[in-house]
Amino acid sequence: MEGLINLWQATGLANFTWPALCMMAVGCGLLYLAIAKGFEPLLLVPIGFGAILTNIPVAGLGDPGGLLYYVYYIGIDSGVFPLLIFMGVGAMTDFSALIANPKMLLLGAAAQFGIFATLFGAILLNFIPGFEFTLQDASAIAIIGGADGPTAIFLASKLAPELLGAIAVAAYSYMALVPIIQPPIMKALTTKEERQIAMPQLRHVSKTEKILFPLAVLGLTILFLPAATPLVGMFCLGNLMKECGVVDRLSKTVQNELINITTIFLGLAVGSKLAADQFLTIETLGILALGAVAFGIGTGTGVLMAKTMNRFSNTPINPLVGAAGVSAVPMAARVVNKVGLESNPHNFLLMHAMGPNVAGVLGSAVAAGILLALVG
Amino acid sequence: MDIGAQLLQAGNLMLTGMVGVFLFLSILIFAMRLLANFAAQLKEAESSTSRQKIAKTASSQGVPQAHIAAISAAVATYRKNN
Repeated sequence: MEGLINLWQATGLANFTWPALCMMAVGCGLLYLAIAKGFEPLLLVPIGFGAILTNIPVAGLGDPGGLLYYVYYIGIDSGVFPLLIFMGVGAMTDFSALIANPKMLLLGAAAQFGIFATLFGAILLNFIPGFEFTLQDASAIAIIGGADGPTAIFLASKLAPELLGAIAVAAYSYMALVPIIQPPIMKALTTKEERQIAMPQLRHVSKTEKILFPLAVLGLTILFLPAATPLVGMFCLGNLMKECGVVDRLSKTVQNELINITTIFLGLAVGSKLAADQFLTIETLGILALGAVAFGIGTGTGVLMAKTMNRFSNTPINPLVGAAGVSAVPMAARVVNKVGLESNPHNFLLMHAMGPNVAGVLGSAVAAGILLALVG
Repeated sequence: MDIGAQLLQAGNLMLTGMVGVFLFLSILIFAMRLLANFAAQLKEAESSTSRQKIAKTASSQGVPQAHIAAISAAVATYRKNN
């Protein structure tokens, strides 16, 4: 009889708790969004499954000694996985549109206001009982506004590891929701005439410029913001491998196998942070709300900056392209193109929006570096 | 730390952060313009070098005057005899 009782006590049925069951349901929800709705499936599948695995009672996958614990410890606590992903993103990014029109960098800069305004908002939330965000927590939450998953995970792992799960889930969820969040803001801040503005064709960019660009970015980062060199350095390495043309094998590996393998483990490690005791808190609700605000403000300031630039620039600038400054490559640029086509079916803005879009990646990495330097 | 002091810090961070991002990316714009000029000059220098090379190759591929004279003389002699 004692053996039977021991056996019963070793089953999941005897050990389930409501919070753990709730988090397993969240994991199933993420799997549903990824598989049925196609929202960021490459990340939400491993994250959702990781959330289920880490909440399994008795198995202790997320506890010291468990697989997910080690994956998190080796890959995220050390900051290695987000950096490897950033190298892959660099190898997949074509900077031609930005090199051809460098002033688009200003749109990438303006959209980062979403990050810094949200930082202020996170501290304001402390007036509500139950919220006790420190400046480090607020900075980690605010980076959601950069709309860049690896950057958000990298900064959260350094500044507020206990909030990492909620921050990663919020960042990737909102990135998947860009086509729903951005268009109403873009339309509210622009007139139909502004949305119809056609932009001149971009000039041809030579191979020399493409090779020198990542080296120039790295050089400036070394000189002015060394705290951002882990992110920017890996990004530039990936981009240089793509553009130099002499290490195609490495470039292809970084763009495919390496980024895919890292994505699997990154997702699982993030999922392991979706344990009930860490996720089912009022702070998670605050993070989800602040993430949406950050996205909205970033989109808005990008559009407003593009409107201002259009007034003073010699060449016309469609204000919609400012919305792409929030990063979320290439989704935000596609949304700009789609909204632009709704106003003028002959106006293709995709290439023009790619400039501020990749500028947003650099801008969010720079913002993360500044936050690390000042708060970390 | 009270919330008022935290808000002041957050405000400072917001200001410093935005100025920092704009400053960094503005320097990058300047650097990219320099890069474009450098690349254009490099391209021009390369194309002028390749033009010179082509001219040199063309002249080096040309038949020397002495050979032309010898061949002309040989052709003239052949025509006279036949």
